[in-house]
Amino acid sequence: MATPPAHTGVLDLEQVRAHTLPNGLRVRLLHDRSAPTLSYYTFFQVGSRNERLGTTGISHLFEHMMFNGAAKYGPKEFDRVLESRGGHSNAYTSNDVTAYYEDFAPDALETVIDLESDRMRSLRLTTDSLEQEREVVKEERRLRTENSIFGLMEEQLESLVFLAHPYRWPVIGWMDDIERITRDDCEAFFRTYYAPNNAAVYVVGDMDPDATLELLERHYADIPAGPRPAPVPQGEPPQRGERRAVVRYPAQAPALLAGWRGPAARSSDSAALDVLQVCLAVGESSRLRRRLVQDEEVAVSVSIGWGWRIDPGVFLAFAELAPKVKSARAEAILWEELDRVATKGVSGAEVRRAQALLRSSVLHELATHHGIAHALGQAEALLGDWREAGHALEHYAAVGPRDVRRVAAEYLDPSRRNVVALDPEVKR
Amino acid sequence: MSTPIALPAIHRETLPTGLSVVVAQRPGVPLAAVRLVLRGGSSLDPARRSGLAHLVALAARRGTRRRTGPEIDLAVESLGAELGAGVDEDATYFGLSAPVEELPRCMDILADVATHPIFPPAEVKRLKRREVAALAHDLDEPSVVADRAMLSAAFGDHPYGHSPEGRVRDLTEASRGDVVGFHSRHYRPSEAILVVVGKVELGEVLALVRKRFGAWRGPEGAEPPVRAPAAPETRVVVVDKPDITQSQVRIASQGFPRKSPDYVPGIVASALLGGGFTSRLMEAIRVNRGLSYGVRSRFSTSASGGVFFISTFTKVETTGEIVQVALDETARFSDEGPTAEELERTKSYLCGLFPLSLETHDQLAEKLADLALFDLPDDDIRLFRDHVRAIGADECRLAARRYFPLERRVVVAVGPAKAIAPALERFGPVSVVPARKMV
Repeated sequence: MATPPAHTGVLDLEQVRAHTLPNGLRVRLLHDRSAPTLSYYTFFQVGSRNERLGTTGISHLFEHMMFNGAAKYGPKEFDRVLESRGGHSNAYTSNDVTAYYEDFAPDALETVIDLESDRMRSLRLTTDSLEQEREVVKEERRLRTENSIFGLMEEQLESLVFLAHPYRWPVIGWMDDIERITRDDCEAFFRTYYAPNNAAVYVVGDMDPDATLELLERHYADIPAGPRPAPVPQGEPPQRGERRAVVRYPAQAPALLAGWRGPAARSSDSAALDVLQVCLAVGESSRLRRRLVQDEEVAVSVSIGWGWRIDPGVFLAFAELAPKVKSARAEAILWEELDRVATKGVSGAEVRRAQALLRSSVLHELATHHGIAHALGQAEALLGDWREAGHALEHYAAVGPRDVRRVAAEYLDPSRRNVVALDPEVKR
Repeated sequence: MSTPIALPAIHRETLPTGLSVVVAQRPGVPLAAVRLVLRGGSSLDPARRSGLAHLVALAARRGTRRRTGPEIDLAVESLGAELGAGVDEDATYFGLSAPVEELPRCMDILADVATHPIFPPAEVKRLKRREVAALAHDLDEPSVVADRAMLSAAFGDHPYGHSPEGRVRDLTEASRGDVVGFHSRHYRPSEAILVVVGKVELGEVLALVRKRFGAWRGPEGAEPPVRAPAAPETRVVVVDKPDITQSQVRIASQGFPRKSPDYVPGIVASALLGGGFTSRLMEAIRVNRGLSYGVRSRFSTSASGGVFFISTFTKVETTGEIVQVALDETARFSDEGPTAEELERTKSYLCGLFPLSLETHDQLAEKLADLALFDLPDDDIRLFRDHVRAIGADECRLAARRYFPLERRVVVAVGPAKAIAPALERFGPVSVVPARKMV
């Protein structure tokens, strides 16, 4: 095995203790005394990609249900107990995973393990709590989607990019499906997706790995494994031509969102697309910011979203346009810039700039116990191996200008683009 | 839990020009955080020039005697850093975080931007256009509109009463002369603090600071203090956005300045009312009634005063109800104070959270800059947990009665006025403002 370069030393993979309990629960522990804190992440291998029409949004709604009481710690107790021990928690659901975390002082470790294993073993799903969370989630949807211009546009974009794959619907689900999900749906969901064999626990910080492993075994070992989750439909047909949607909404200014289907996270092209993302839209000296915001003044902001996903995900470009700018003009400039990268490529200096920015961003993430625990979990969930969390910098370092040009040409093909334009309705 | 927070070795010195320098050496990732803070932010915006301090901070990085704006961008970003520039009501901030070996170049560029900007006319004009255009997008975000409306309702004509981003008319009329004048009046070493945190060598940092900032000169004298704001009159402001399906709600009352002795009791009382997931408001609004996805309360503290506010949102139909529930819970808490269990839990929560706000170099740099800006001792950080632990139920109740929105308070709601204004009349005299008036 090659010695990793010195600059990756911020995450010493050799120090990670990896173990799988007989019931399938994967456990990864990293002892680090640099700060007197612990971060505890639980990743469940389930997100909106595992859903079906009619109950879209169940992964996310279920995430809310996880805070509503189990056999030992009843309703409202999870956060009370945790907070009384100086900790705090939260969770998120994505297209691919549902992740829960607690950050706390080391002396609360056993309490946290007790709380987490309690809800994995014996979550209580009551009709009352389901009805109340349903209302909360509807408010969340109103907040993030229905009254958010980006939210409205993104929902349209994903349904253009994907015809068959479940990435087609939003993580929060369609409003009508949120209304429809039953307690029985939740029970079945819990048995399959929240079984220990579908989960992994990451503990990073100031603790003794041997003692922690023993605690984990004691608390989780009796939770039975669950059935194997159903495979996710992969029959996305090839795209043969541009797809477009218009969102008419009373807004002060237009906006533009474009997206292309990219590779799966595991593809070696993912890192090159990260570099492309930075070349295009991270920092004031990035190509799109200079051209669209500074030189042509058609946009007030521009960003690229390339989120790694288990199945082929979306590479998207979003621009908030200046009022009165015609969307078509902004589009033409955007296509021209993307075409320039695909045909002429980027310079070595641009790639080095992108690598420097990506390196800082990786170092920032790995600067906290929370960040390390999340990086390990994310790498295992999306790439199948937690060790990948320590290899990001090597992957970026291996990307050259030719790779950037190649991925731009391959993935950002005009005949496979999807475009959502915001048309600000004029009020009469 | 009651052991003091261990801070790294902190070196402080003042250069002959008056520049305060703070250096903290700590291990960890090989990055260095650098922050230059100038006393004076948007509260220094002249009359009819709201947004000027903000514009100056953005424009400063658009060209110096030695570098054009694009050259600055490229130089900084090639080091793996992004240069941040911005203002709040009390101060102007420039900051970046870069690999520690790049500190010399970062310091060079930061000093160049802060002390030698030339404000190229074309760049100033362009920035004005962009900022005005960005305000149009702000108007499309109900929560941003609500925050702006709350500042204005809580502080009125006071210098804290406008958003640092300014207003369309003022930005449009601001001239390059305004920008240059503001810079020459307010950017000066005697009112500046430079903070460096990371795996750095003290001697090297100090030598760099002297080399790059030693010759910086500016007008003598201190910025005049901002007058203390008055408490708002009770009223309701409805910002009309006819097409949204969810109202954004703010309830605000007079708070206190950052140096107030009520700071820690206030933080504890506010956490009890609307802090974490188990707060009174969260329980009443989200857990028991499903009225919202989120609700929080907070003291926002500035140099000369502050505001306490509750912030939430709900579907249009329940706008009146959510305000009523929030006010009822606030009144009940102010009468009864916290239970013993609740108080202990909340203090543990605050104490547990605190070390996490010091983990990264950037976070520590921000905290150290705040200490210098508000003239606070290290113990404000070191003993924060002890100060929290010492707070009793009575002090929480007193802080609540004094500052929470019981009598004098403003209610701000952004939503379709026709639907929500009638439901809000019971909370005070209602004025309806079209959303576009908010920028």
